[in-house]
Amino acid sequence: MHTILLYIFFAIAVIGSSCQKKVTEIKPQDLLSSDLAFSTPERIEKVVLAAYDGLQSREFLGGRSLVYVDVLGEDIFDRTLYFGELSRFSLLGSSGIASDSWTAGYFAIASANRAIAGIEANISKLEAAKAKELIAECKFVRAVANFYLINFFGQTFVFTADGSQPGIPLITQSFTSNDAAANQPRSSVANIYNAVITDLTEALADLPDTYNDTYNDKTRGTKGSAASLLSRVYLYKADYTNAKKYAKDVIDGTYGDYELQATVDAVFADYTTAETIWSIPHNSTDNPNTNNALPMHYYPTGRADLAISNSFISTVTNPYFAADDKRRGMIIPGVAATNTTAYKFTRKYTDITNRADWAPIIRYAEVLLNYAEAQARLATGVDADAIAKLNTVRDRAKAATTLSYTIASFASKQALIDAILGERRIELAFEGHRFWDLMRTKAAVTNKYDSDGSTLLPSQPFGAKKNIFPIPQIEIDKSKGVLSQNDGY
Amino acid sequence: MRKILLLLLSCGLFLLPGVLQAQSRTITGKVTDASGNAVPNASVVVKGTKVGTVTNTDGMYSLNIPAGAKSLVISSVNMQAEEIRIGPDQVYNLTLKAQDASMQEVVVVGYTTILKRSLTGSVSKVSGEAVANKPVLSFDQALTGKAAGVQVNTASGLVGDNVTIRIRGAASITSGAQPLSVLDGIPITQGDLGQLYNPANGLADLNPNDIESVEVLKDASAVSIYGSRGSAGVLLITTKKGKAGQSTLNYDTYVGFNEASRKIKVLNAADYTTTINKLRTNAGLAAVAKYGDIDGDGKLDTVDTDWQDAVYRKGLVQNHQLALSGGSQRTTYYTSLNYNDFQNYIDVNRQKRGSVRLNLNSKLNDWLQIGINSQFSRTKSYGLGTGVGAFLSGIPFGPLTAFPNIPVYGPDGDYYLGRGGNVIASNLPNPKAVTNLNYDNRDARRFIGSAYGEVQLIKGLKFKSQVNLDYLTAFNDNFWNPDVGDGQGFGLAQTVHSEANTWSWFNTLNYNAVIANDHEVNALAGVEYTRNTSMYAYNRGVGIKDPEFRIINTANFDEVAAENGIAGIDDGLASYFGGINYGYKKKYLATVNFRRDADSRFGKAYRWGAFPSGSVAWRLTEEDFMDQFKFVNELKLRTSYGVTGNSNVGYFPELSTYEPDTYADLGVLTLSNPGNAKLRWERHKQFNIGIDAVLWGNTNVTLEYYNRKTIDIILKNPVLATLGFPGNIITENIGELQNQGIELAVSTPVLHTKTFNWTVNFNMAWNKNKVLSTNANGDQLFDTDTDPNAVFSVAKPGEQLGTFYLIRWGGVNPANGLPMFLDSNGNQKQYDHATKAWTYLKDGTTTSQIAATDRVLLKGKTPYPKIYGGLSQSFSYLSFDAAIDLQYAFGFWVYDQTRSTLFAYSNVRNKSEDILDAWTTAGQNTDVPRLYYGDNLWSQASTRWLEKGDFVRIRNVQIGYTLPKSIIDRVKITRLRFYIQAQNLYTFTGYKGIDPEANGFGNTNIGLGVDRYRPYLPRTYTVGINLGL
Repeated sequence: MHTILLYIFFAIAVIGSSCQKKVTEIKPQDLLSSDLAFSTPERIEKVVLAAYDGLQSREFLGGRSLVYVDVLGEDIFDRTLYFGELSRFSLLGSSGIASDSWTAGYFAIASANRAIAGIEANISKLEAAKAKELIAECKFVRAVANFYLINFFGQTFVFTADGSQPGIPLITQSFTSNDAAANQPRSSVANIYNAVITDLTEALADLPDTYNDTYNDKTRGTKGSAASLLSRVYLYKADYTNAKKYAKDVIDGTYGDYELQATVDAVFADYTTAETIWSIPHNSTDNPNTNNALPMHYYPTGRADLAISNSFISTVTNPYFAADDKRRGMIIPGVAATNTTAYKFTRKYTDITNRADWAPIIRYAEVLLNYAEAQARLATGVDADAIAKLNTVRDRAKAATTLSYTIASFASKQALIDAILGERRIELAFEGHRFWDLMRTKAAVTNKYDSDGSTLLPSQPFGAKKNIFPIPQIEIDKSKGVLSQNDGY
Repeated sequence: MRKILLLLLSCGLFLLPGVLQAQSRTITGKVTDASGNAVPNASVVVKGTKVGTVTNTDGMYSLNIPAGAKSLVISSVNMQAEEIRIGPDQVYNLTLKAQDASMQEVVVVGYTTILKRSLTGSVSKVSGEAVANKPVLSFDQALTGKAAGVQVNTASGLVGDNVTIRIRGAASITSGAQPLSVLDGIPITQGDLGQLYNPANGLADLNPNDIESVEVLKDASAVSIYGSRGSAGVLLITTKKGKAGQSTLNYDTYVGFNEASRKIKVLNAADYTTTINKLRTNAGLAAVAKYGDIDGDGKLDTVDTDWQDAVYRKGLVQNHQLALSGGSQRTTYYTSLNYNDFQNYIDVNRQKRGSVRLNLNSKLNDWLQIGINSQFSRTKSYGLGTGVGAFLSGIPFGPLTAFPNIPVYGPDGDYYLGRGGNVIASNLPNPKAVTNLNYDNRDARRFIGSAYGEVQLIKGLKFKSQVNLDYLTAFNDNFWNPDVGDGQGFGLAQTVHSEANTWSWFNTLNYNAVIANDHEVNALAGVEYTRNTSMYAYNRGVGIKDPEFRIINTANFDEVAAENGIAGIDDGLASYFGGINYGYKKKYLATVNFRRDADSRFGKAYRWGAFPSGSVAWRLTEEDFMDQFKFVNELKLRTSYGVTGNSNVGYFPELSTYEPDTYADLGVLTLSNPGNAKLRWERHKQFNIGIDAVLWGNTNVTLEYYNRKTIDIILKNPVLATLGFPGNIITENIGELQNQGIELAVSTPVLHTKTFNWTVNFNMAWNKNKVLSTNANGDQLFDTDTDPNAVFSVAKPGEQLGTFYLIRWGGVNPANGLPMFLDSNGNQKQYDHATKAWTYLKDGTTTSQIAATDRVLLKGKTPYPKIYGGLSQSFSYLSFDAAIDLQYAFGFWVYDQTRSTLFAYSNVRNKSEDILDAWTTAGQNTDVPRLYYGDNLWSQASTRWLEKGDFVRIRNVQIGYTLPKSIIDRVKITRLRFYIQAQNLYTFTGYKGIDPEANGFGNTNIGLGVDRYRPYLPRTYTVGINLGL
């Protein structure tokens, strides 16, 4: 009997050890764990796409980033004061605008870093070329996020001679837990620009020219979009040689054929034309929704928060905007339904019903203007090449009776530069450029109206403390003093 | 005479010693008890053999004993066994003494039972009689006020609603704080198992009448053998088992009715019309409340509908229990059949349960014992198809706010769906129509069973192996009628088939020995494996084509959708445990327990938790110096310290997971839960010291102090955005909570004469808790992370858990009737909706509005009572018996959100009767501001609606009459008792809302005590019969 019992004990011990494994090592049936997320090439690619999804955040490049840059400028006014004290340059350290932008930007960066770490850990599952391409896409996303964050939270590059003013923490590592390594002090603006340039340059080498699919080509990183963005980054950095170099490559068709559409509104009707280089896509089920979508802010039948100010419309304050410029056709009056008949709005973003308007980040017109400006600044006198590129953009919009520019049109090199900047203001209006263009040219914001559209706000000088967002106070608190607040907040 | 003959005979036999040795002989005798009564069915066995018999009804036995028989062992149930030497005598009469109940009383702890006198931990025992035959939906509701320190709150009177059990205060901040429930060693699935709109209490599937006792394990020592899951305490439920030689058949039945126990008074039609119109005209708006011409006869119909009366009814309750128990020395059994039908006082709401139980225990031979304990039940619940509470037609929101000047039925006899003469854009759906035309039913089948085998290896060493199963399958069926309510215009049907399954297997080695007479040792070692799983299959049909055909398919509905998933439970536990109880001279006792568990919910590195505990006790009454205190029968001083754990932390919280999402037209996989590989058990360190005393032979007193610190509480910790985690949150073990308190339990017969008995059972607990820390920022936490403005209480370091956090109400300005509030600095601000202006009271200057930033932490005001407990008294006089149970709780607050919506000035729904106190003339002191339509700021969340919840409730009153023995014996039955009882008879409280126990957010820790439109508790009257055969 005792031997039988011994056998029973033994059997129980054996069954027990397999039982222990069975009850403690349980995998969920309805969740995808991290290791499984990197188990097949298709899944890895989807994780990389999640990085773009991070940029698409409604608080970031899904629309708000573009809006903030224009609310800070003088071409629109915040009719409903929806953005609080932003247009008056008096945000507080507790500002939700600042914290939401910060969080969204770093989430996109983290998504890119996670994808890179996952690819490197699972490199055997991918073909070498594809792996490089996916990593390049992640670097592209990371560069975009860093670029927008550094310009929101740090003074523009030229604020100091070497860009040494405080910037943002530089995060290139992927984190899986509450890692102290994420608590980085603020890197200088120059360091961030270097990181952005390095990322874009490395990405440029490995990104594809085309995905052989128009949708992917316009929404994901390509050589064309990396080069275009590089030209803008160098322009902000006042490195005009490189700005010209990368813009030239795009214009020469090295990375694909981009060309202007016949009319400006064609670019906003269909975001997959040859003029679009890279945009953030939306559709009826995936969009920033009624409080954040671009059409909801800009279009008169939406929330109609952002009306076009007289500074933009008047030929006195906007001298390069001719009275017969075809782009004035993009300006429409308000409607009775929203009590906005007294105001003017843009019709660049019109999809109130589905809010499926894409957010335009880079288009060919900008690359031409980047080139023109860089070339104009590099040349010793009035440069014909710069004028030619300027004309490409302007000719589409000028009235038939107006003459194209010639060398004779400009008294000096500076006059040409002013014309290019003036054209940029009009062409890229309401696309998230104006305020940063003023800052990088050390200009002040003048002729800016308050929310009633008629009261002038005091002029905001270049380098003013509240030209940039506060570092979110809650992040400073969480960092226990590692992060320092911007002056004035 | 017979005796002399027997004596002679036995003497004669002595003369033949040699013959004697070789032969068996017959001995006889009579067994009596201390009062001289015969003891039937007493077992008389020759020690060491199988030779034995039982005494007959006269206590006489006759036994043929073999040669060499040395002694007899005579025993009977509840009596001390006696051993007598067999000598040459023929007759052996014996008197058996009754067992000293308290000395021999056993307590179930963990996987064994030990004698109560040897117990070193803190255990409260509630007898099965406290829960049997009570008209409750689920047995846990009957535990209210029965055990010191155990607070049982029924959230509302809705069938299936949450019953929150808190043992010694809240055990966690955000994780589960409900105690573990174990039924005959089977850990059972509990909590809210509802899949759609109505809750379903997992413990309602158990038949309360099958319960023998419920032990509440409270301190670390008692709980630690369940260490890993017992941090919030353990409820050990033991069902009835058969007793050898006592065959009984019992039939218990009661029938009665339910009604609403309270009623909030709202305006009648006349007052409603005048009040609403005054609200409107004061604001310069047109009057809108008017009687209408309902029947189209040209005259206005002055109907006055009390919607609460319309929807509430007298619901019939009945219960039938047939139980058979008995057995022989070898096999004992208990089996029961039960049917319980509880029609709630709310129309349609009902729970029907049929259950069958079989407990079988068999000693196959002297070393092997096997048994099964099993129950199968089917519970059909008829829930409210309106959704409950704040949905517009829900109960009680609908009946409280529906217009009183329209009828329930229209002239055609159908439900009246119009708005009468009231001039408004829309009306509330007719509450009676919605309650009756919509439904949300649940049909649950539950099997809970275990099978075990116990082997005696050597003397004192037993090996037991038991397999447990708790299998629940439920079918939910919900329908929204297209004519009324939430489904109006389209009609909706939803069905859910769900399953929840728990199986576990444990093996224990139990060693009992007495060494050298002075050392009692009870050692236990064991291993247990548990696995919990669940699933659901959901179907929905929207847009019904013909309301007659409700099966969800494309022929009957415009859109059909289906979804499958896991119902939130998928985990397992492996446990290794052991413990030693040691007693020296029955005087000095010590217990050490240790348990090591691995829960699948944690990552590999932190999966194992170790939970040790130790306790010592000193039975002073065994000491010589205590002999002088004759009135002290038992005095035990005990203390314990130990660590228990909690892993009730959600669904795979440690796992880092990705989920599919979209980048416009492209599919992506994005991080959804960063997980936390370091996530580990929540731990409780508990210290307990107590005194158990038995005085004057009949009075039991227990006094205890406990101090419990919970560390590593799992909370959402806000982290740097640079980490890039969704919501900038990571789930970490960072919180700390402390509970301390005192418990007192006294049970004593106050008066004890031949004809009249009066016994009192009193228990009281005082508890204080404090949140020691939350996350790294010391944030105050809310129950819902999404909208901190939607909740009213917080967990803030340094304060008590659930402290209310509200704007302070400043009263009504008697000069102008305007509502006033205090800002965060204490300045009084008044609000005039006519001008939308806020002004300071002191000087009338304009100021900013009162906002969420003016909320103030109301120190000391929490929903957790400071003092709570129960008082039960039982009386008996001749054949009559009576019992009255009281429950009380003092020192807590309830946020009466229900009442705040009954004073809303910005809609034309019905209002509280107290709105008639509204300010009308200058100088009037009142707390209801002047009527002004549109003022939605006066009734915003503030201390105006925070009320003291202190109450004393008469939980149960029973009066019974037992037929005297003389009558019963004639009919050959053992017992017949008639009784009447009332459950929840009356509540003494100043609280003006639904009920002081109301709890709108279910089983939560921070957000308890919010009265948010849950139905009243029912009051039930029953008459019943207990019949024993």
